[in-house]
Amino acid sequence: MSSQRSTSSNKITDDELNALILRLQTLLPQLDQSRHGRVSAAKVLNEICSYIRRLQKEVDGLSGRLSQCLDSMDLTGFDAEI
Amino acid sequence: MKRWRTKREHQIYSSKLFQALCRSRRTSSSTSAKELHQTADRVLAITAKGTTRWSRAILAAPLTAGTNMKKHKKAKVTVHTRLRKPVVNREKKKLPVVERKLKALRRLVPGCRKLSCNNLLEETSDYIAALEMQVRAMTAITEFRARGEAQAPTDRLGSIGNM
Repeated sequence: MSSQRSTSSNKITDDELNALILRLQTLLPQLDQSRHGRVSAAKVLNEICSYIRRLQKEVDGLSGRLSQCLDSMDLTGFDAEI
Repeated sequence: MKRWRTKREHQIYSSKLFQALCRSRRTSSSTSAKELHQTADRVLAITAKGTTRWSRAILAAPLTAGTNMKKHKKAKVTVHTRLRKPVVNREKKKLPVVERKLKALRRLVPGCRKLSCNNLLEETSDYIAALEMQVRAMTAITEFRARGEAQAPTDRLGSIGNM
């Protein structure tokens, strides 16, 4: 595997990539390093993409529920809860 | 990135979102889920205070009621066709996979389509942390509303707003 030291923005050295992938790995609860050890960059990126999609879908669902609640309810008194 | 985990940030976002929802409710009788999602995203971007590319991209994007009409500057199809060609060298297969994943990631995080790998991963980690907070805050608001339905609204402080 050749590591390219190029100043082009799209290319990245293997070491840099690995360092960044490791950082991303800490964000993913299911890929915690202590359990799985080293995971391939592709797998981490895959999990990252799935995780983001899942979070966005969750916000979608919450938006739906909230919009239904808004239509039927009044919004006073919320500040007291925060 | 760590700031998205603080209670203070959570409170700031929750109250800003709440104000935005009140405002939108005054102007239109009903809010669709899509509009609400858009509002939630915009408030999230505002809370980021313009420090990240994804937040700036969200605020720069026009508000869409229906489907997104994106302007394609160049034909994307040709690029994909080229990538689909079978690669003879087995070693080369490894690199395109990572690049393909990076490309998918670029499409998911707003405003990062032409970003370098380094910056892309920075933006991604911030974006994920922000999304997690968004989910927490919206869940709290929704659960609060659900609790409110069980109790009588007159329990609350102040007068009931005009319908």
